[in-house]
Amino acid sequence: MCCISSFYVFVTWSQIFTKPPCAFILFAYFFKIFFYFSGVGCNSVEKKIYVHLNYTFPCVRLLNATHQIGCQSSLSGNVGVLHELESEENLDWVLTSGPNPPYMVILESRLFTRSIMMKLKEGSGRVAGVVVVAPNINPPEGFSPHTACPNDNSGVYTENYDPTLAHCNATVWNPLGNGLAYEEFDFPIFSVKDDNDTRVIRQCYQDHNRRVNGSNPQFPLCAMQLRSSMSAVTNTATCKRRNDINFSLTPDRVCDELGDFNIWASSRPMNTTTKGHKEFESVVIAAARMDSRSFFFDIAPGAESTASGIVTLLAAAHALRRATQEAPPNRTILYTFFQGETFDYIGSSRMVYDMENNQFPLDLDNIHSVLEVSQVYILIYLGLWLHSDPVSRKNSSVKEEVEKLVNGLKSASAGLNVSVDEPDVSQPLPPSSFQRFLLARPIPGVVIGNYRSSFTNRYYESMYDNAEYLNVSYPENMTSEEQLEHFPETVKTLTEVATLVARALYVQAGGNETQLANITADPQIVNQMLYSFLVRANNSWLQQLVPTDFTNHLADRPTNFYVGVIQYFSEPTTLVQYMLANMTGSVVNVTQEDCQKQREDKDDDQSKHLYTYMWVQGAAPPNSTEREGFCVRSTVHRSIAVSPAFELHEYTTSNYSTWTESVWKPITGRIFLVANTTITANPVNYFVKLWGKKWRHKQARTSHL
Amino acid sequence: MNLERLPNEEKLGLCRKYYLIGFAFLPFLWLVNVVWFFQEAFIKPAYSEQLQIKSYVKRSALGLLVWVTVLTTWITIFQRFRAEWGEVGDYISFTIPLGTP
Repeated sequence: MCCISSFYVFVTWSQIFTKPPCAFILFAYFFKIFFYFSGVGCNSVEKKIYVHLNYTFPCVRLLNATHQIGCQSSLSGNVGVLHELESEENLDWVLTSGPNPPYMVILESRLFTRSIMMKLKEGSGRVAGVVVVAPNINPPEGFSPHTACPNDNSGVYTENYDPTLAHCNATVWNPLGNGLAYEEFDFPIFSVKDDNDTRVIRQCYQDHNRRVNGSNPQFPLCAMQLRSSMSAVTNTATCKRRNDINFSLTPDRVCDELGDFNIWASSRPMNTTTKGHKEFESVVIAAARMDSRSFFFDIAPGAESTASGIVTLLAAAHALRRATQEAPPNRTILYTFFQGETFDYIGSSRMVYDMENNQFPLDLDNIHSVLEVSQVYILIYLGLWLHSDPVSRKNSSVKEEVEKLVNGLKSASAGLNVSVDEPDVSQPLPPSSFQRFLLARPIPGVVIGNYRSSFTNRYYESMYDNAEYLNVSYPENMTSEEQLEHFPETVKTLTEVATLVARALYVQAGGNETQLANITADPQIVNQMLYSFLVRANNSWLQQLVPTDFTNHLADRPTNFYVGVIQYFSEPTTLVQYMLANMTGSVVNVTQEDCQKQREDKDDDQSKHLYTYMWVQGAAPPNSTEREGFCVRSTVHRSIAVSPAFELHEYTTSNYSTWTESVWKPITGRIFLVANTTITANPVNYFVKLWGKKWRHKQARTSHL
Repeated sequence: MNLERLPNEEKLGLCRKYYLIGFAFLPFLWLVNVVWFFQEAFIKPAYSEQLQIKSYVKRSALGLLVWVTVLTTWITIFQRFRAEWGEVGDYISFTIPLGTP
């Protein structure tokens, strides 16, 4: 603001020179000068009033066919007087007795519970917003903002399929789920980390807002303004309709559909340009999900729910590389990573839809069986559970195949430190991508998880499902290089699980049992992948596997697995793509130009139907700093993962996911001192009163004369 | 324009013109008619054309009242129920508020 005012001073200076060309030149000159200086040494009044909050995670609005969830603030931001909540009883101050509403409530993480949030939701105008202070260690009692029955209406268990298994009647998968992430709030909710910013907030509260000896705090009070104004309302159909309005005066984008890409690779190359059914191709799908979420936007560490499955499947693919090339089994193994599964199975429903409509290189009839890797983090003495669908098992051929798969897994576990078992026969499948395949065809399949009848994950789909929960910790004082050499305990168990999955897949694909002893996962690879996903993607190992233009997308913080709106370089999808290429592909001696044009030499136009070529930057040899790139040939492909509802333009359907994310104005937060609440509530009123006072003063003075 | 300087026939002609053109969906002309010619019609001492001017002013006032009622009713209904009309409401709106239904 002050820069603009000083700029205007210089514009008037330039008008001293009346000759127009001279004035213009001078004007342009000072304009340029002021742009250079605007960032430096500007004695801004704004900086003396406001303290901006830097590392905040807001809660945003998401919409589906029938509801809107998440938070909303007013267009310029909600302002409220700060109040630190001490306990649930203290809510009374905020909701009824406090003299300076509206209040901005600061919650410690232990108070971020459903009962307190529901009471605040009923606050009706006295609550301006909520700030949750994220602790440095996970809350021991567990916290899951997801629903207790995840993906309830979008899986295979509906009233038609089997009423006794629908709506988690048989077993509740996420018992700690409080459903907060699916509630609607009309005030903003932000999350701040417990660091310097938060200390400033708490200090401000202690200095100005605390009650002393039972008397109410006096003005000036510390206040906070949170701005997270969402444009979309009501539901997906409404916001999509408003996106498309042509003759409106101000065409604004209001919402965007959630989606990304699925990543898949086949153990044997097949023609990907011809779509639809492939004769003589029988495929075993090895599936894992690639996404997670939390209550707040853009933070979804998903360590147990997502990363454990991805790392296990990638390590299994690496372990199987040699065996599938030297002694290829009868059936092809398709390693598939689905994106968007949290939001009603976006990725898997799209893949099934593409298969049904001949948009995918395979067909549903080509699928022999499915093996899905769900949450598989275990401690040494615990085991894994093999879930299958009881309804499709009533068919004898399906039952036989499932039993074969289960026996393959059990025999593969014999030589390893991992034990597997089957839960109760009548128990349904847990929430998994396999359910969408079952919706289309009765395919035999098994879902591997570390839980018997309800998740052992205490932080399912929350911001606490992170490296700390998985006991993956690296000593702080090590550099990134040294940390990659250090193996936490978790790595060893995950390696065992990966070996189990790899051997079972090989047997299921019809491979020779004598080869099994040679199939083992590499713990170093597992460690490097876990480090990349859970601690920092910007490490020396991963930098070798990616092309040069992706390196600045590598983050220095844990991977964010939130599916978000479709973008070309989304973090988890691209990481999995390059890792999978490295695990299953091979290095070929091809020039960079040919590599990027998807061919092996000038005259080759067949390879692009079978393979994908990627030029990655590689490592720098010991004597120089220039990296030596190379070409990786693999069968890794991306397939679009946007819900079929958006292809068909059916925004009210209940058959497919209809989740969209609202578009928002810039999201900011700041704290400041406020002199009198009436200025925040009703500025016109305040100034009228002020003028009234001044005018009366003036009257009084002139009457003396 | 100062009505004082005009002869009475021209005043009558002006009033009539405003009254007639106001039928072309221009209620503000009737408002102007009522406000401008009010003094001429009701307060000035009688002259020959005053009776006709009075009738035009009265009819303009009536038309204005009808317009105001219709517009107020429609605006109230629209503002209150636009959100519930869904697609129809969006179709007849020029600007739709962001963030609220």
